[in-house]
Amino acid sequence: MSATTQVTAVPVCPRCRSTTTEVRGVSPVAGVWTVYGCDTCFYTWRSTEPEENTNPDKYPAVFRLEPQNLPKLEIAPTIPPLPAKKT
Amino acid sequence: MRAYQDFREFLAVLEQQKQLLRITDPVKLEPDMAAASAAATRLGNRSPALLFNNVAGYQNAQIVTNVHGSWANHALVLGMDPDSGIRDQFLEFVRRYRMYPGQLERVTSAPWQEVMIDKDINLFEILPLFRWNQGDGGFFIDKPCVISRDPDDWNNDDVENVGCYRLQVKDKNHLGIQTVPQHDIALQLAHAEARGEDLPVAIALGNEPIILLMAATPMLYTQLEYKMAAVMQGQPYRVVQNAKGLDIPYGSEYVLEGRILSRKRQPEGPFGEFPGYYSGCHQYPVIEIDRVLHRKDPIYESVYVGRPWTELDYLQALTTSAPIFDQVNSTFPEVLAVNALYTHGLVLIVQTKVRYGGFAKAVGLRVLSTPHGLGYAKVIIVVNEDVDPFDLNQVMWAISVRVNPAGDILMLPNLAENLLDPACQPSGIVTKMIIDATTPIPPDRRGDYGEILGTPVGTDTWLQKLEALTKELQR
Ligand SMILES: [Zn+2]
Repeated sequence: MSATTQVTAVPVCPRCRSTTTEVRGVSPVAGVWTVYGCDTCFYTWRSTEPEENTNPDKYPAVFRLEPQNLPKLEIAPTIPPLPAKKT
Repeated sequence: MRAYQDFREFLAVLEQQKQLLRITDPVKLEPDMAAASAAATRLGNRSPALLFNNVAGYQNAQIVTNVHGSWANHALVLGMDPDSGIRDQFLEFVRRYRMYPGQLERVTSAPWQEVMIDKDINLFEILPLFRWNQGDGGFFIDKPCVISRDPDDWNNDDVENVGCYRLQVKDKNHLGIQTVPQHDIALQLAHAEARGEDLPVAIALGNEPIILLMAATPMLYTQLEYKMAAVMQGQPYRVVQNAKGLDIPYGSEYVLEGRILSRKRQPEGPFGEFPGYYSGCHQYPVIEIDRVLHRKDPIYESVYVGRPWTELDYLQALTTSAPIFDQVNSTFPEVLAVNALYTHGLVLIVQTKVRYGGFAKAVGLRVLSTPHGLGYAKVIIVVNEDVDPFDLNQVMWAISVRVNPAGDILMLPNLAENLLDPACQPSGIVTKMIIDATTPIPPDRRGDYGEILGTPVGTDTWLQKLEALTKELQR
């Protein structure tokens, strides 16, 4: 296992580059890994993963997301009209 | 036929049958879980389940994969001889399927109630989560039984639903859920959202193996998975009802209770999916978790999903073939078998007797209108009774000599299809095709089919003899 430095500052999201990230959890055996998550695109990553998963500059272009495009993603299933019919 | 009381009992049976491999070497969650599980799917018909118990960062996490990942394990799930062939498993599955319904047995407690967490829930600490494929948007719970009821018919057990839907762990107590419109839970969610209400759900993980098979079976909306599990195992199916009225399997390792939040959608995915492509990112519903229960020293189960053939393909093989067969056969008794083994039935092969010219095409159309056919079946190959649909060599022979594309290919544009089929254009819409690979008979007079070859006299006797000799030779 490669040594990991415990980062104090929460990093930028590798996928959408938002700074709305937080530590979601740490390894029960202290110091082995940290899991981060992004509250904008909901990407999750572990500190011990390869740079393609953890570093915004190495994250594959094909999987990147732009925060402003997220609301345009296809909605499934569609949300029915509210006026609660009869009951 | 036999019933396993819980997940652990089944793992013990796998171990005793030499179908469980304990991996005691240290492993990293990424990439080892995915790499080892993907490798296991290439081991062939006797591929074992894998149990990892030396996971980096944990004192005592236990993760199991590939539980259903071979025909041998699949047979053991059904309580059959591990050497049973696919066709025998199909016929036995269908025989039990037709005994529906069995009985529910409600008991008041289960081992998964040993530990209960109802505040400061952090799924990343409770479950050993990990990424399966590198482009996945996060860590997915992908082998759950998700239990829900219909808000418009709440006390009707027969429309309670147990489904296997992928769940992305979004944050400490929120999950994304993929509910494609063809799934039963999507109907229940639509009913809840029309009322502006959350939909209560229970999520059971690490289950005795028959219920997962049933959760993967596209039964009718009015059929309850637990009652089908009961006929599959030959005993009433044991559940515990929670405060919301949801029935939860007795034999689970973890139970997550929560609600699908009404009228809310959030980015979910991508996930490396069953067609062998990433799903892309969509706006999918969100589940909030209120309470988690689990056994002491719980065992976490997950399934590798990737380019077929994987464990998922065993999970979806007969569970897809049998209901389509049953539904089509009840309309057309001439239909003899359905092979939907390939990529969740995107392609499937139907074996039928033919009453008159054009009949096979009608059989193909009936397949398209089954509940599973609506969202998956895309290419349907119809063959005669002399072609075993589970033997692709025979199927290819039928296509090569009994198909004249001029009259045997039916193209049906703009039909509904699962969002995950990458061929859709637009997403959720596809052209479907029926290939009539049966011999034309009157009034369909095409081709020149003279006399078909028979099998040399004595072949069957020799086959038996050679099988016995070969078995002896390889002992
Ligand atoms: Zn992000």
